[in-house]
Amino acid sequence: MDLSGPLDFELEDPFLASPAIDKKKRKKVIGLDDLLADHYSEQEKLVQKKFQQEKARKVVDSDDDDDGSKAIQAIVEKCQNEIQSISGEEETSVWGVQVFGNQKVSPPLDFPELGNCKLMQSFLNNKLNSMLELTEIEGGTFFEGLLKNGWLLKLAFMCGHVEKPIATWAFNLMLYSSEEDLRTSSCDFLCSILSSTYEVNKRPVKIDWLPDYHELRRALEIYGFLFNFSTNSDPIHNDSDFGGPPQNIRAWIQFVTTCCQIRNKHSIFSTTEAEELVEIIICLFLDRQLQGLLVLMCDCMQSVVSYFTGTEWSSSCESIAKFISSRVSIDINSLRTVECISGLDTRTKQLRSAIAYQILLVCFDNKVAGGDEIMRSLISINLKDKSCDLFKMYIYLVLTENWLLSNQMLEDKPVIKEMFGLYLRNCSCQISSTDLRTYSAKIRVKASYLLQFALYK
Amino acid sequence: MERNPNSGKWSRGGIEENILAILDAFETRDTQDANDDRIAFLEAVRAASVGEEHSTRPTCKIFKAVFRILKVGKSIELIVASYKLLIELEKRFPRVYLSNSDKSESSNNPLELVVVNEAWSPFLFTSEHATSDKKAADIHLSGPLDSSSFLALIQCLAEVTDRGSFQALDVKSLANMLLFQYLVNFLEGDFLPRCATTSWNLQRESLLNMLLGYRKIYKGLMQDCLIVICNLCELHTGLRNHLRSIENSGPMLSKKYQPVAIALLEVGKNTCVSMQKFLMMIMELDILKRKADMEGYTTRADGVRTPLVEIILDELTYSKDTLSPFLQVFNEPKWKLEIIVQYFWKYITKTSVRTRKSNEYCDNATFAGVLKRFSNSTSTKTIIKKIGSEVVQLLLAHGFLAQLSLLSEGHPAEGISSPKEGSNSDLVDLCRNIISAFDSLITADKNVEILSVGKEAVFTAATFISY
Repeated sequence: MDLSGPLDFELEDPFLASPAIDKKKRKKVIGLDDLLADHYSEQEKLVQKKFQQEKARKVVDSDDDDDGSKAIQAIVEKCQNEIQSISGEEETSVWGVQVFGNQKVSPPLDFPELGNCKLMQSFLNNKLNSMLELTEIEGGTFFEGLLKNGWLLKLAFMCGHVEKPIATWAFNLMLYSSEEDLRTSSCDFLCSILSSTYEVNKRPVKIDWLPDYHELRRALEIYGFLFNFSTNSDPIHNDSDFGGPPQNIRAWIQFVTTCCQIRNKHSIFSTTEAEELVEIIICLFLDRQLQGLLVLMCDCMQSVVSYFTGTEWSSSCESIAKFISSRVSIDINSLRTVECISGLDTRTKQLRSAIAYQILLVCFDNKVAGGDEIMRSLISINLKDKSCDLFKMYIYLVLTENWLLSNQMLEDKPVIKEMFGLYLRNCSCQISSTDLRTYSAKIRVKASYLLQFALYK
Repeated sequence: MERNPNSGKWSRGGIEENILAILDAFETRDTQDANDDRIAFLEAVRAASVGEEHSTRPTCKIFKAVFRILKVGKSIELIVASYKLLIELEKRFPRVYLSNSDKSESSNNPLELVVVNEAWSPFLFTSEHATSDKKAADIHLSGPLDSSSFLALIQCLAEVTDRGSFQALDVKSLANMLLFQYLVNFLEGDFLPRCATTSWNLQRESLLNMLLGYRKIYKGLMQDCLIVICNLCELHTGLRNHLRSIENSGPMLSKKYQPVAIALLEVGKNTCVSMQKFLMMIMELDILKRKADMEGYTTRADGVRTPLVEIILDELTYSKDTLSPFLQVFNEPKWKLEIIVQYFWKYITKTSVRTRKSNEYCDNATFAGVLKRFSNSTSTKTIIKKIGSEVVQLLLAHGFLAQLSLLSEGHPAEGISSPKEGSNSDLVDLCRNIISAFDSLITADKNVEILSVGKEAVFTAATFISY
């Protein structure tokens, strides 16, 4: 094998590379000459790419005809795009809400009490200190070293005890330090202590201080979290103020995840506080700046949702859904809201379904009562009508899918199941394949897939 | 063995076509619209596979499409979502697993290894390559990796995370890191069940062994892995400097990079963990191979491969700059201690004639044995002369840390006997020995400056003794 050659995945798909049509171009009327020129340059690129690929690996046995027809297909598609853009179709919208505004001043991180903790004092009085000559003054930086390299955790496990000054100091570092080492190591320290099953003399590690919900909430406030956000406002294009959470948000999420997993030892949050946490995490999902933290946020959601006891859950689930539906506007964000909930276990399935249902109620201005009426209203919509807003229809379709398929409802209510089937058939049949509006194909494909897969499995 | 993993509704009910249809119509474009469809596709696969109670493994085509999104995806949303789905799929439908062939309750029967050969894999090694079907023609797009493309991936990671020429702040780097994490996850899923079997024939066929089987690149690959793990330890410094230079060229620009910056540190941290897992698996494989070798199960076809511990030791002694970051980042206690003890042993043992086979590995070397060498100042002086006092401190402190972890996890210290009876007395002994080691370090060299990590070690030891 040729080692100097590029990697498999470095060779990009020539078709993927077909240029995204930028906005300026969309506005312009495109002549045949332009298209032809484009076609030629495209062809040239293809030939070049292909040449490179052949050089890289000697195993190429795709035939030219196939490639040629694919190229033509790409051109045809491109033309279609451009026709579409000429016809003045609006662009698809992007999800995203500004959840964080400007950051506030974080509390000071110097911690004089730290030098007075027993751990430090006992060592200062130890004869061994002559070897190191530590003084109280450098206590702060010395403790940072202990924390970063993991000694503090070992000490806590060996002694079975964490003093209050150390716990609060670590908590503050975790939430407000701008040093990556410190925030991750303090987060690891606290999470390991809280979730440890390690026992000293048959007793778990004792921690003299635990944060409460208000302290976690205050941290979010300092990060600039907009507690009264609503997706109706349109701040996404507001570039003037540079909002955004600090990196500490990762430690925050991680810590909340751990706190929720140890309810059997420490019940840190009340039921309403836990409900608010679910709402906050849903908001975090809506912030595009945090989209890289998907795994972290999903774990957190999972853990907060499992925090509730069985009896708390059913009512909490509904009140969370009601709250969220009152804040989210009926646009692409409402879909993101529903889809950010994993739906892999019973509770998240329930939550997904509940939120979708509540948002659907809002879609019909809360004028409908119950599922049957929602379905009747959906069926009565005529998708053939040119004035029908297909974007809205797409949202209805996805919401309905999530409402009905995320829980057992369909099995229990054959009438709704029947109506759902009718609705899906409407969606897949009423829109002709020549309809060029943006969401027509999405609706058609989705509905026919659902018809086949979900309804009659 | 599972005969037909694709049986069931995936192919029969036309679900595969229908799900792929969400993707197909737009596959060639790279607009927001097309990205939305890719997300919808991932969501549909997820709902039909891991979201369903009685679902079966998706077809290879589906796997390929998801994998391709991870490889060529150009938005954070897409690569993170496809990565997550791939991990979930592997967890739900493992390609290799142990199963109790005898359905009755008697648990005496050894578990049997099941390999779903038809299942999709992100790896394809050359020997299989020739026999595999012609469909591998589209290999360069969503196709599987082999040893050399894996090497290229690692080299790429090493390059972009370099502190001097930091360029990891883009979606492609994130995707590469996630790809690496997924591949390690997949290798692990294949390797761990095989480890439990005790049959070298099965272990030999592990993807990991095949990946490393290409002798030409093995050593280079391992060296690059070490570079990556040390670079990742410093990732935040590189990122901070890089962001600063961006900020100077305008706040608008830095806003654009914010999502990648937030994701990068998180993904980097996890990549570091994955890299550790990868190295540890290789070291375990080395042990399995050595054992098979001694028991006579290996054949000439198995070839010779330098054990990873040796490569690491060579790197650490050769370039002293890597020692500190490596010890800081590599925190799995068992192997960390092993490396540290071997490092000392290289210098402590009398330089007798080393035969290649017998001395590659010192089985009786323990940390307690190392500490004994520091009990008087003459032998301490010799060691300092050979290794240098800074390196000695680093090794002692980190060795102490690793030994503490092992003791507190309930492993009795090797060399300090007394199982069960009192791990506490083990701890106290250990702490005493550490203090006396540092003590003789100071007596041996009056001008020695104790590193902060050394001070921390003494502090910890002293605090525990007086507690």
